[in-house]
Order: sequence, then structure tokens, then C-alpha cells
Amino acid sequence: MDKNFAARRRRDLIIAAVLAGLAALAPLFVKDVYVQNILILTLMYAALSQSWNILSGYCGQISLGHALYFGIGAYTTELLFTKFGVLPWFGMVGGGVIAALIAMGLGYPFFRLRGHYFVIATIVIAEIGLLLFQNWEWAGAAMGITIPIRGDSWLKFQFLRTKLPYFYFALALCCLAWFVTWWLEDSKWGFWWRAVKDNPEAAESLGVVVFNSKMGAAAVSAFLVAIGGAFYAQFLAYIDPESVMGFQFSLLMALPAVLGGIGTLWGPVLGAAILIPMTELTRSYIGGSGRGVDLIVYGALIVAISLALPRGLVSLFSRAKPKGATR
Amino acid sequence: MTALLETRGVWQRFGGLVANSDVSISVGRGEIVGLIGPNGAGKSTLFNLIAGVLPPTQGSILFDGEDVTNLPAAQRCQRGIGRTFQVVKSFETMTVIDNVIVGALVRTTVMREARRKAHEVLEFTGLAARAHVLASDLVPAEKRRLEVARALATEPKLLLLDEVLTGLTPTEAQTGVALVRKVRDAGITVLMVEHVMEIVMPLVDRAIVLDLGKVLVEGKPADVVRDPKVIKAYLGDRHAVGA
Repeated sequence: MDKNFAARRRRDLIIAAVLAGLAALAPLFVKDVYVQNILILTLMYAALSQSWNILSGYCGQISLGHALYFGIGAYTTELLFTKFGVLPWFGMVGGGVIAALIAMGLGYPFFRLRGHYFVIATIVIAEIGLLLFQNWEWAGAAMGITIPIRGDSWLKFQFLRTKLPYFYFALALCCLAWFVTWWLEDSKWGFWWRAVKDNPEAAESLGVVVFNSKMGAAAVSAFLVAIGGAFYAQFLAYIDPESVMGFQFSLLMALPAVLGGIGTLWGPVLGAAILIPMTELTRSYIGGSGRGVDLIVYGALIVAISLALPRGLVSLFSRAKPKGATR
Repeated sequence: MTALLETRGVWQRFGGLVANSDVSISVGRGEIVGLIGPNGAGKSTLFNLIAGVLPPTQGSILFDGEDVTNLPAAQRCQRGIGRTFQVVKSFETMTVIDNVIVGALVRTTVMREARRKAHEVLEFTGLAARAHVLASDLVPAEKRRLEVARALATEPKLLLLDEVLTGLTPTEAQTGVALVRKVRDAGITVLMVEHVMEIVMPLVDRAIVLDLGKVLVEGKPADVVRDPKVIKAYLGDRHAVGA
């Protein structure tokens, strides 16, 4: 039985390696910049959703305010770069650390809230963050920050002529987020998180320190999301509060995981692989034909999938239901 | 040798309601003690106080020579108090083995070790065949058993069983009784809340009867069931006269 378990873990790792390898080859065949753009966004949202899934999926603390951490990653990187000349690579890690600290600072009061109240708190806090940045003169307020372009450079992580470096970074980030999840899934933390999600009181009686579990999940989740924010800022070469901290980011982190299978290893990647291209395609093909038709189609597809597969797309594969669950 | 568990003058008030008043009990090492009493006697409250769900309004709780009155539930588990819940609280989206691993992780952070321990406990509690089934797919009797398994995986010195035998068929209850004996034989002290008298009495070494939040009678099961005060508490005055 344990052999099966170890074999399944190894199989997941091999599948991930193969998929990553295939994805790495994609630019050989995809020369169209528009399609490359979609691939980059898909990988980025897969990574973000995978990170969101750690706190909201595994630990069960549904956050609709992760745009805050995304924005903090973006702003920390660009403020350090434009004001102090700090390379984006350091800004990225710094942004991650700041986001993790803020997540824990916010968790201290808010992890006492349960269910809907917690969700509402996350939305409100992210909106407050957005307002603060819209009014913060030093950080460019609503005008935002334009990142000075000084030519293609890995050091400064900016590329004008090609999108490929962004593609590979997004792929690497996606792999990192997946691997962190894979690794944590079979650890004390992973088990504690699932226990906290299912029944905090029972978890407590088995020695699980519920509060610390939530704090740990929040920190890891926010750190990874902030790295994504830093990447996105470099990718756009321009940021303003709405374009890196808007509510839509919170939704676009949650949706792939929910659609693919919340609290599962493969859910976010699967969800993002379907959802993000769908978003882009509906927008470009039918977005111009009438007001919001693309959004209607997009929404209808999400509703259809959720109704047909309430446990997410991963339930199409055997793994969602362990063998022997026949009763 | 000192008692494993001792409550000293424990009070619990909920607003104007006094659920426990001046309860002092002790449980010795290796005993099976039954905590019985009519509905509303304060059994569950006392249980929660011992498990650390809430601190008592007044009084203190000593475990294994240490004052644990103000320790939260998780730390009491680390000290060696394991418990089950009257209304089962399985981790429904997790498999049976994963439920038990959560318990085992109190003693180790090495997953291989926790998994080995969990298998051992499932073997001990007769759930091994159901290891890879989701907890939500278990039948009620199995869920009760899983509660016990999970608690045992934390390697408790004292196991608190909250009505694990209630609501089971006679056969299931007999298997449950056998399991409790097995637990004690493994060197674990058991304190059990139960109100099905005919099942508990042959099982326990000592019975403590609570009524209206106070300790009414304490002693050997055979004596306790014949005690007029106990009969009165359960059945009313008329029946006590003949006793």
C-alpha cells in the first residue's frame, strides 16, 4: 500500500517533468507573438493559482484578496529599481518577503474569522491596499511607474526584442510553485493544512496548532504570489495600482484552482491551461462583436464546467477518488 | 504513585448555568474509569475541560504531575491526552490512513515514520482493510473506530472516549468493548463518558456518577448501580425506595 503511495508521488513528479520539458520546447513551434503572450500568461496564472491553492485549497482559508500580494511584489520590485537602482531579482525576493510578512500580520487578527467573514475581510483589505497605492504620491499614485527600458538584459530582467525570456521565467515559476506544493503535500504542514480545512476542532485535539498552520500557509502562498507580481511588472514594463492590484487578479488566481480542482496538486495547472487561453480567445474573437458577449460566453463556460464537475476537472482523472471507495 | 489525572475543585459556568460545580476526580494509571450520569449532568463539559477545549471558570487540572489548567488542546495532546468526539469529527476529504497520520505527526515529523505508525494503529483498531477509503465513505461504527485510531496515533497516556459505544448495534458495541480492553492492555489509561449503563458497567474498573454538575457517587460499578442516590438520579424517587 505504501509502495503504491510512493509510486504515485513519483509518477506525479515524472509527469510534471515531462510536461515542463514539452512546454520548454513550445517556443520552437510557436513563433507568433500573440500566442506566445497567451502561453506566458497561462503559465503565470498557473503559478499564481498554484500558490493561492496552498492557503485557500489545502488549508481551506478562501482568500479573494491575493491581488494585494501580487501588487506588493510588483511595487516592491519597481520602487526599489526606479528609486534605488536595486536589481529586479533582489526586488523580487524582497517583495516576496514583505508580502509574506504582511500576510502573517493580517493573519494575526483575521485568522480568527471563519468562513464568509474571512473571505470578506480579504476582499476589503485588498481594496484598502489598492486605495493606498492610488493615493501614494511617492509610489506614483494613480499614474503608476514606468520602468525605464535600457535594452535587453538578464541582469535587469527586461527584454524588448523577444518574449522568450519571460516565457522561460514564467515556466520556471510555475514549476517552482508546483514543486513546492508537491513537496509540502506529503509533509507535516500539508497534513496539518488539510486537517485544519476539514475540521479545526478535531485537528486541535490531535496536536495541530491551527493558528500556526494558517500562518505558515499564508506566508508561503503570499511569497510565491509576490514573485509572480514582480515578474508581471517586469513583463509589462509599466505598473499602476489597477493593473497590478485590481480585484480581477484575486479572481483570476482563484478561478483556475476552483475550476481545475481546489486543494488538489494538478487542479490549478489544469484549470489555468483551459481558463486563461479561453479568456484571451473569447476576448479577441468575439470581444469586439458586441458589449460583453465574450464575458457572457466565458461565464457560461465556467458555469457549465462547475455544474458538470463540481469537484473540478481533475475528477475526470481517477486520482480524485481513491481506490476502494466503493461503499 | 500519584494519579495520572486529577481535577481539583473544578467549576464551569456558562452565564447563569453551572455545568460543573466543585468537581474533584482522579484517574489512576492503567485504570478504565467510566464517567456516567443522566443527560445534562455535566459529563461533556468536564470532558472538554480535561481535553482543553475551554479553561475552567475555577479550579485546576493536573495531568501526569503537571498543572495543565491553562494549556490549549493541542498542547495537552502533546502532553499525552488523546480524545474522541461524541459527534464524530473525521477529516472527511481525507482517506482513513491520512486521518490517522495527522495524529501520528504529533510524535514525529518524518513522514515515513508517521505512515508506519498509522498502519500499526489501523491494524490494532481493525481498520487496516479500509485504510485507503475516504473517511466520508465509512459507516458510522467505522467512523467511531477511526476517532479512536486517530487519538491512539498520538500515543496518549490517557484516552478520553466520549460516548464511543452509544448508538451502535449490540455486535458493534461488543467489538467496541473489546477494543477498549485492548487499549488498556496496551498500557493506556481510559476515561470514558457513556450513558448505556449495561455496556459500561462490566467494562470499567471504577465509575464516577455526575448529577447536576456535581460528583454524586464514586466507586466499583457493582456498588454504584445499587446506590439509591444513583437510582434516584436516573429513575426518580419512586424507584429508589425499594433499593
